Amino acid sequence: MGDIGLIAQVVVNGILFGSMYGIAAIGLSLIFGTMRIVFIAQGAVIVLFAYFCFWLFSLLGIDPYLSLIPIILAALLLGTAFYYGLFREAAAFKDRIGSLLIAVGLMFFLENFMTVVWTPNPRAVVSSYGFYTFRLFGMHFTLVRVIGLVLAILATIAVATFLKKTLIGTAVRAVSEDVEASTLMGINPDRVNAVTFAIGIGLAAIAGTTLATTYSFDPVYGIDFAIKALVALTLGGIGRVGAAFLGGIILGLIELLGTYFVGAAWSQAIVFAVFLLALNFRPQGLFGGATSEKA
Amino acid sequence: MANPLLEVKNLDVWYGDVQVLREVSLHVDEGTIVALVGANGAGKTTLLKTISGLLHPRKGEIVFTDKPLHTMKPQDIVDRGIIHVPEGRRLFADLTILENLKLGAYTPAARPFFLESLERVYNLFPVLKDRKDQKAGTLSGGEQQMLAIGRAVMARPKLIMLDEPSLGLSPLLVRSIFELIHTLNTLKVTILLVEQNIHQALKIAHQAFVLKIGKIVMSGRGDELLVDEEIRKAYIGERARKR
Repeated sequence: MGDIGLIAQVVVNGILFGSMYGIAAIGLSLIFGTMRIVFIAQGAVIVLFAYFCFWLFSLLGIDPYLSLIPIILAALLLGTAFYYGLFREAAAFKDRIGSLLIAVGLMFFLENFMTVVWTPNPRAVVSSYGFYTFRLFGMHFTLVRVIGLVLAILATIAVATFLKKTLIGTAVRAVSEDVEASTLMGINPDRVNAVTFAIGIGLAAIAGTTLATTYSFDPVYGIDFAIKALVALTLGGIGRVGAAFLGGIILGLIELLGTYFVGAAWSQAIVFAVFLLALNFRPQGLFGGATSEKA
Repeated sequence: MANPLLEVKNLDVWYGDVQVLREVSLHVDEGTIVALVGANGAGKTTLLKTISGLLHPRKGEIVFTDKPLHTMKPQDIVDRGIIHVPEGRRLFADLTILENLKLGAYTPAARPFFLESLERVYNLFPVLKDRKDQKAGTLSGGEQQMLAIGRAVMARPKLIMLDEPSLGLSPLLVRSIFELIHTLNTLKVTILLVEQNIHQALKIAHQAFVLKIGKIVMSGRGDELLVDEEIRKAYIGERARKR
């Protein structure tokens, strides 16, 4: 019984952990879907927002969840600036190599920038309730991780609703399918791309805040996170918000269950082995429908 | 006589080093159906793409409702009242029929009239109403063409440009598409029609232009060209032999 209890605990933690990969993957999915950009800097951006949260907390004493408001607003602005300042040209020409190089450059810039500003030492936001845990169904829950999961679920629902219910959200999906046909409907692709980028970076802000409140981080932590988010995205399936999120959850589960059963050293190898197998047998992702290849 | 709705003057269009259109001039009068015919590769699609702003001319000008058009972006040209239904329809297959129609009325000019336009489209194509929540990709070829035209009507355009609307449809559907184009025209929509089905196109066109290797080589009333010996030999006869 004790064993099963422990496994259940690991499963719960895997889900909580994976939800962060999940929302990072949604951001990647949106940015890749509309602009065909592999935004490898997503992890570094998440860490940047973790530092924002850290600063607001340690310098001004602002509660990390309250700081979500200014951080998300800053993220939406930053996302728009990234698009117009860095990626507009590459997106217009669907230049995947060019945009990947820009993203890699941005990632290295951010890593070095953060190392200078915040030193390479690990940081964490430890609030008064940071270690508060509660028991439910015989399992331990850490409050901040549960809040992280709830935030991730809310963000996922918000983005899915935005894409489904609003006209600009419908336009985002249309641009993902066919940019040229979209412009023939009167849709301005620049505007749609900027909105998409802002949302992707906004999701990074939520992931960054959750990262800051639940783990310690340093300036180069992001690359691992970005690659995991890419794996989550491929695992779940590109093009659907829910699929990307579930891909993240599954990745988190594999990682923690692997650590529990085989050991921490092996868990990373297992993650990527599962990723390669999934790519081989279900290239469209576990939850992706048959993607309609357009002529 | 009033100025034409659309006037194309001495247009030169290049794809990189290749000149596709040479000194092309044509005009579309308000309320008419104008057919643009010619063989494959003559430059018909290129001309439509240039009018809708997807391509830019190296020389010449395009004037629509007395204002120049050839320097504008595609999305602004839609807002001015020209809608281009591209070859192959280019529906958003993953979006529902209703979502496709919503995007049809995306421009600031069309958006306030969304419900009114939707009613109009559903009257023209009741099948689209029955299937409004179905994905566009699940429709048959004929239904997809209806949706493509319906989506264009949603924009409340002054001019609809149709690129090969009958392509890949059965003879029966081809007939109903041409009937539909006629119906649209009676609803006061001006139409610029590109067709390989030259016989049918000339039959409904008020005015027609023949494009050959990037040049307008002939123009006249549709019914005149239909009986023109040269046209019959060069295009219609050729098609008949193919079948």
